[in-house]
Amino acid sequence: MRAHEDPRTYLAKGVAVGYLSLLVLIPMAALLNNAFSHGLGAFWDAATSTESLDAMKLTVTCSLFAAAFNAVAGTATAYVLVRDRFPGRGVLNAIIDLPFALPTVVAGVTFYTLYGPHSPFHVNITGTWVGITVAIMFVTLPFSVRAVQPVLESLTVDAEDAAATLGASSARVFRTVTLPAILPSLLTGTGLAFARALGEYGSVVFISNNLPYRSEVSSSYVYSLVSQGNDPGAAAVALFLLVGALAVLIASNVVARRLALRRG
Amino acid sequence: MKWNVRKWPQMLAIGAGGLTLAASVALPASAASTTNVNVVGYSVVGPALKAEEAAFQATPAGQSVKFTNSIGASDTETTNVVNGLPADVVNLSYYSNMATLVEANHVPASWASQENSIGGVNPRIFGKKAVTTYPTPGMVTDSTVVFIVRAGNPLGITNWSQLTGSGVQIVTPNPATSGSAKWNLVGAYAAWIATKHTPNQAQNFLKSILEHTVAQPVSGSAALSTFLAGTGNVLLDYEDDAIAAVKAGDKIQVVVPPQTLLIENPLALTYTGLQNPAAVAFYKFLFSVQGQNIFASLGYRSVLKSVWADTNTNFPEFQTKTKLLTVVDLSGYGWPTIDPEFFGSAVTFPKNDSTHPSAGIVTYLEQFAGQAS
Repeated sequence: MRAHEDPRTYLAKGVAVGYLSLLVLIPMAALLNNAFSHGLGAFWDAATSTESLDAMKLTVTCSLFAAAFNAVAGTATAYVLVRDRFPGRGVLNAIIDLPFALPTVVAGVTFYTLYGPHSPFHVNITGTWVGITVAIMFVTLPFSVRAVQPVLESLTVDAEDAAATLGASSARVFRTVTLPAILPSLLTGTGLAFARALGEYGSVVFISNNLPYRSEVSSSYVYSLVSQGNDPGAAAVALFLLVGALAVLIASNVVARRLALRRG
Repeated sequence: MKWNVRKWPQMLAIGAGGLTLAASVALPASAASTTNVNVVGYSVVGPALKAEEAAFQATPAGQSVKFTNSIGASDTETTNVVNGLPADVVNLSYYSNMATLVEANHVPASWASQENSIGGVNPRIFGKKAVTTYPTPGMVTDSTVVFIVRAGNPLGITNWSQLTGSGVQIVTPNPATSGSAKWNLVGAYAAWIATKHTPNQAQNFLKSILEHTVAQPVSGSAALSTFLAGTGNVLLDYEDDAIAAVKAGDKIQVVVPPQTLLIENPLALTYTGLQNPAAVAFYKFLFSVQGQNIFASLGYRSVLKSVWADTNTNFPEFQTKTKLLTVVDLSGYGWPTIDPEFFGSAVTFPKNDSTHPSAGIVTYLEQFAGQAS
């Protein structure tokens, strides 16, 4: 019997689609409807007001930096966790996911005390794009590490060892053997991190100092629009961000798939 | 354990499904419990409301009453109530929040008269027989806009004009989300009007204040946290919040400027609250001598003349030195005209709708301050 003839498969599909509809599709449709509830012109005005654009520029810039930095640092972390054996490795492996569990507001306040005016390290990055980027990096780190880690684990050491035996430097081994193998999942992870970063609120709203036109991120601007009862405006700005996130996710997936196919 | 990104959605789906199931079983059970009062308050008033609730529960009327609190930035809480947050008693930062709730049909238009009809306090009696300190109906607490500076007041700040001096960094919440922020900025404007400046000069002063602002956290409480974390050297704040912070032992000092704005915080019973005897009793309690004394002990100015007479010694410098302006002094209609004039949103829906005027003074100046830096 082929899988798709099994009635249980249809049930599973039904549950999956129903679930997705309730959680994602219907809310997204409502958002779309809300954003355009006063026409295309009103949507465009709300999404492209000066305050909105200033917030978006800042948000996209910081998200790009954070995703790029995490792509490098996250891969290095995953590499160390998979390839090296050292005491405390298990603990380190477990705490990678903590940013997912920690309420982001708590993370934000913690960063403010550690890297703010009273910093024990004498580093004050509050109110700057660096501060916003660091907060986003913290929140999105698990995406980068966990995307690459399973691929590294399944990648046999033999190929790397063979290349090394043939005289390749470790940098060359990484570039020619390891990197091509992990690149598709690295791209996916980075895309996810970037998309998540665009909507981040809790960890960023404190450290940014939240100055309109200066250090206000898009999610905070959306929050202020909602507070003022301007739901259509908030939906418009959110939709703008969503489209950007979706484009990046699709692009990273397409490129990742092509790379994976090329490797066979 | 191996980590597989592709399995996460499945795991999430199972987890969320379980939660939904658990919630659908658990919720009807808790909804069945008796005499619950839903209280909604602006961010700073949270601790005071909790103290009031505890005291009320110790009275005969409050024996079997439970409270569910929702505390947050005033405009945010207001929007939440409009969108269906259960609310019986609402204590918000300023008049306009109530106007929004009236428009959304959650609070009767006559809410302010509840102070007399339910609370038994009539603010319309003037002269020697007056029972309230100010004749504004529906207001449960008063306060003022004050400065919080670092311990020892290293910059020697005593009045508004010094706030725009070089090196002064101001923290004040974001007026798009916080009622406290609106009081602060209108306070700055009021101080300039009180010192014989023209409206144009007062607006320029406001611009200068915004240019010296280094953080605009989302609520009054968030602003205090930001200031205590070391950002800025002057925080604009409610007098009551400042007094609470000093009592909490923070290394700060309160400066009361010679002219400032009288803050009046409204209280109302919603339509559901009016149907809930426990909520009505709690409303009454908040206006009672006992309730007002609790507010006064936490740094609020009582609206009851008798309680204020007993507690004003807690606020010595205010009585003699400070000139208090009200929003009605600035504009005959108070908040209904001040709100759009100062804080009208830059983004309006629908466009050119006369009920949603274009950018207010502060909204406009924010942009200007942003571009200047």
